[in-house]
Parts: sequence; structure tokens; C-alpha cells
Amino acid sequence: MRDVRTHLMHGGRGDPLLVMAPEFGSGVWHPYLDRLAAHFRVLAPDHLGFGESERPEWLDDVDDLVLHYVDLLDALEVPQVAILGTSFGGWIAAEFAVAHPERVRHLILVGAAGLKIDGVPRYDLFLNPIEDILRHLFHDETRAAQLLPTEYGPDVVVHAYRESTTLARLAWNPYLYNPKLERRLARISAPTLVVWGEHDNFLPPAYGHAYTRAIPGARLHTIANCGHLVPFEQTEPFVDAAVDFLLRR
Amino acid sequence: MQFYYFHLMPWPDLPADFDRRYPSSWVMLPNRIYDPQRGQQLYNEYLDELERAEALGFDGLGVNEHHQNAYGTMPAPNLMAAALVRRTRTAKIAILGNGIALHDHPLRIAEEIAMLDVMSGGRIISGFVRGIGCEYLSLGVNPTYSRERFYEAHDLIVRAWTEPGPFAFEGKHYRVRYVNPWPRPLQQPHPPIWLPSQGSTETIRFAVQRRYPFVTVFTAYAHTKRLLEEYKAEAQRAGYVAPPEQIGFALPVYVAETDARAREEAKAHVMWLFHRGLKIPPHWLLPPGYVTESSLRKFLAAEMKPPSDLSFDALERAGYVLLGSASTVRDRLKEYWKDLGFGLFIGGGRIGDMPHDKASKSQELFARDVIPALRAECGSAPSPSGRGSR
Repeated sequence: MRDVRTHLMHGGRGDPLLVMAPEFGSGVWHPYLDRLAAHFRVLAPDHLGFGESERPEWLDDVDDLVLHYVDLLDALEVPQVAILGTSFGGWIAAEFAVAHPERVRHLILVGAAGLKIDGVPRYDLFLNPIEDILRHLFHDETRAAQLLPTEYGPDVVVHAYRESTTLARLAWNPYLYNPKLERRLARISAPTLVVWGEHDNFLPPAYGHAYTRAIPGARLHTIANCGHLVPFEQTEPFVDAAVDFLLRR
Repeated sequence: MQFYYFHLMPWPDLPADFDRRYPSSWVMLPNRIYDPQRGQQLYNEYLDELERAEALGFDGLGVNEHHQNAYGTMPAPNLMAAALVRRTRTAKIAILGNGIALHDHPLRIAEEIAMLDVMSGGRIISGFVRGIGCEYLSLGVNPTYSRERFYEAHDLIVRAWTEPGPFAFEGKHYRVRYVNPWPRPLQQPHPPIWLPSQGSTETIRFAVQRRYPFVTVFTAYAHTKRLLEEYKAEAQRAGYVAPPEQIGFALPVYVAETDARAREEAKAHVMWLFHRGLKIPPHWLLPPGYVTESSLRKFLAAEMKPPSDLSFDALERAGYVLLGSASTVRDRLKEYWKDLGFGLFIGGGRIGDMPHDKASKSQELFARDVIPALRAECGSAPSPSGRGSR
């Protein structure tokens, strides 16, 4: 779209659900997507500069991604959509819902980045090597295996470097947040569910509370025995909560 | 050949548990380890050593910029140059280099260098660097913009020095509507610009186009040779023969009475330098976007072991350091000169946590027994170039 190649995975039938992927595991049709596809028409793009999507020179702000997703929805002729975003994808989802509230039917934010709370530090993705990061993001380290590469040959390293470069381009400083977002969250009009892992060591649960307080009518759902990457670590309870929210509201 | 005495100004007093407790001497090593009283003694000793280099006959003195680490405690190299300007008379003062991509206002660097150049009577050499990966973690500057910022800052600084002000510079990263620095530099068209580098193709091409001296730093000899040959080949492609005064070779050197004494006396300090001073996790050296994906691929393919992984013998064999009696050092440098054709030799004197007395002895032996012989045999090169493109 607009001369930028975007890789889009999709599946299922029903109301459209736009899934904003986290900064890990791009380009793969994960089990949680498959389960959601049992109830919805799941649209799972790779963000620009992640997975198999191109990284254009002009990409330097989360705002650029928000407009890109407006283009995507227009191209797919989807006037209104439910959006589910995890981690970095949750930040994009929140910004989208702030800027284009009329296009969002439901909003689910899962361990969403985008805010900063003084006194509640966030784990530094850029300071730590990839092997440590993925283990840190799971409450039970053994569950990280589903995302950890089986070997660290040059292709794997260069691919991870590429995605890390995109993330750094967008989120190095301010680190993974937009100072203006919190004040703007009141503009979100869609019913919103905030989902957080009880043992999130990357964005502690205080961030879940902050999102819930700031978004009108939002509800917080905490997933027990779970770290930051909720859709991967506790797929079933997560999907149940998401489907329940989307179908019953 | 021109001889520069180069100082890193390290913090030598690391805690006894450093090796097992800290992943690096950079970025996160707690600054309570720095003792300002001891720091006062060290800074003044280091400056004494640099001043003494002038008295001993070195052509120039070298300082550099690094932040938040024990390897080198000069976050503001222009301050060290300022301290040296009034206490020296004839030696060039080489700042190797200002991290021009690291700061919010490159114009400030243009101003400071101009001041130093005027104060010193035109003795400043203005090196420019991007700053190693660690600096981007320390200072919060986005490494994905490192190269863009470097080139834009370079352009702003050179134009500030050479273009009549006021003029507007409205770039992507730096925007100043009235560039009009006072003072203007003394050297014309501007102080020489040197590029100390670990050698990306892009830097080499840039250096060649502008005829900026290229200085290899802290690499194994084989890699140094590859880089300098690439520089010379690139110069050929650009239509000229790279003269010796455009080719710089930096190397830690230690001279003692005999080869055996040199190795014995320097060993612990060489190991400090490479195993502690340069103990840096690889992902801090290459933060996201700092190199291109193709550079990263080449780097992985080369499978180069970092010097912090090498034994003392391996470091010496690979040419990371040059240790020996004066005649050994002289002969080896002459061999290197024949092989590489460098006209600028930048010798690191006080290696790692080496004490003042050893560093002074080596400095004196080098100045007395190595420099004159090499000047006689390899020629006294004309003044360093780097005065801008033709």
C-alpha cells in the first residue's frame, strides 16, 4: 500500500479482529491467532520493519504506523474493527484508538507499552541480549522455548537485529512510551479490556492499572501464573477472556 | 613519519571482584567506584605525561572522548586539549576525536575547536568519530541515526568553519537559523580533520573523498592492513595516490631494556586494557541500527574473536600491542611502515593500569631510541593533511 510492502496473515470468519503483534515472534501464525480465528476473521499484519514487512525510510514514529493501519483497513474495506494489541502492538493499538476512535469497535490491550510511570521501572530490551530477554518475559522460563530460536546462526542474528533496529528507531528515547499518550487516552470511546500478566517483569502490573484508569469504562483482567507475553504463556485463559469480552459486549 | 603520543586516561582502580561481578567497565559500572581525589592525581599525572611527550620530541599529543567507563575518563576531550594548549608550544594537539553524532549541538564543537585553534596558534587536529555503541546506551542518543547524525554534524561544523556567517542550516537532526560562530579557526581552511575508525566501507569512502587522514585503532595487524589497503584502493578509484600523511596507524607500545623485560613489565597492563578496559558485551558495541545488516553479516562471517577473549601471547602475535626493546620496536615499526605506508604513528603509552614510572621509562626510550632512527629511515613527513576536499 502506498508503495510499501506489508505482510498480512489472516484466517477465520466472522467479525474482523485486527491483531497488533508484539515486538517478538513476528511473521508466524501463532496458536493464539489460530484460536481467535475460530470466532473472528483475524487480520494479523507484520508491523513495518518486522517479519516480512518492509521498513520504509520515512518510518520513525508510532504515528506513522497508526496511519499505515488506517491505510490497511481502507485497503481491506473494513470500516470498523476490533483491535487486540500486545506489548509494542498494544501501544500502537492505544494510539490508533485515540486518533481514530470511530474505527474501533472493541479494544483489547495486553501488556501494552506506551506509558511511563515514575518509580515503576521497565526492563531494558536494548541493554540485554535476546536470549535473556525472552526468558525474562515469561513467568515460567521453560515456556519461552516457543519463541526462542533453535540456533543462533547469522540469519537469525541479522533478522533479530533488523527488528531490534526498527523498534529502536521508534522507541529508543523516550523508551517505549509517548509522553503525550496518557493525557489522550480519555479520547478512546470503544469498550476496552486491559489484560495483564500477574508476574509481568517487563511492564509491571501498575501499567495495566494506569491504562485501566485512564480509558473511560475500561476493565482490567489479570491472568494468573503469567508473565509479560500473555498470549503465548497462557493462551487458553487469554483467548477465553478475549473472546468472552468481544462476543458478550 | 610523524609521531603522536596518545593517552586514554583510564581509571585503573577496579574493585577486586570486577571480573566476576560486572559484565563491563562501560555504561553501567557504578560511578561510586570513581574516587575524585585519586582522579585528581591521575588527571594531573596523565597531563604531565602528555606535556613531557612534547619535550621529548613527539610531533603531537593525542586525546579522545569516551563516556561513563573505566577505559578512558575524558568525556570532554576539548577540555583536555585546553589544558594542554597553554602548557605546550609546538606540539600538535590531536583530538581523536570528538563524538560529533553524540551531542545536541555540533555547533558547540565547531566553536570549541575554533577557540582551541586560535589559542594554540593553529596546532589543533580535529578528529571526528561517531562514538562507539556504548556511548549510545550511556547518552540516550538513538543509534539508528548514528551515521545520519555524523554526516550532518560534519557538514554543519565544516560549513560553520568555512562559510561566511550568518547562514541558515536546517537539517533533519540539527537546525540553526543563524550560523555565525565567533571565533573563526586559525588554520585555513580549517583544522585538519582525521577519522579514527574501525573501518566501515562508508567511512573509508567518505575519508577518501575528503582526503581526511584515516587512522586505524585497536585492531589486529591483519585487520589494520586490510583497512589501510581498502583506503588506498579507494583513493586510487578516486583518482589519486593516498599519501603517507593521510594514513594513520594507532598502536599501544611499550619499550624496555630488553624484549623479555618489556613483555614481563607490560603483560598485566596489556591484559587489563583488553580484558577489563575493553570488556564490553557484543550487543553494547553493536546496538540496533549502529551498523547496517550487511555490515553485521560481514562481521559475523569474519568470526573475529574479540580481543577480550585472547590470551596475552595471542594479543601480541596478532599485533594488538608492540612490546620490546628499542631496537625490536624500531625494527618492527619499520617493517610495518614498509608494509602499510603510514605517515602518522599514534602510539599509546600508558597501557591499561600501567603505573607512571613504567609509562615514563617507555616514553623516554621510545623518544630517544626509536623516533630519531625512524625519522631518519622513513622520512619526516610534511604536516598532517585533512584540510578538506579538493
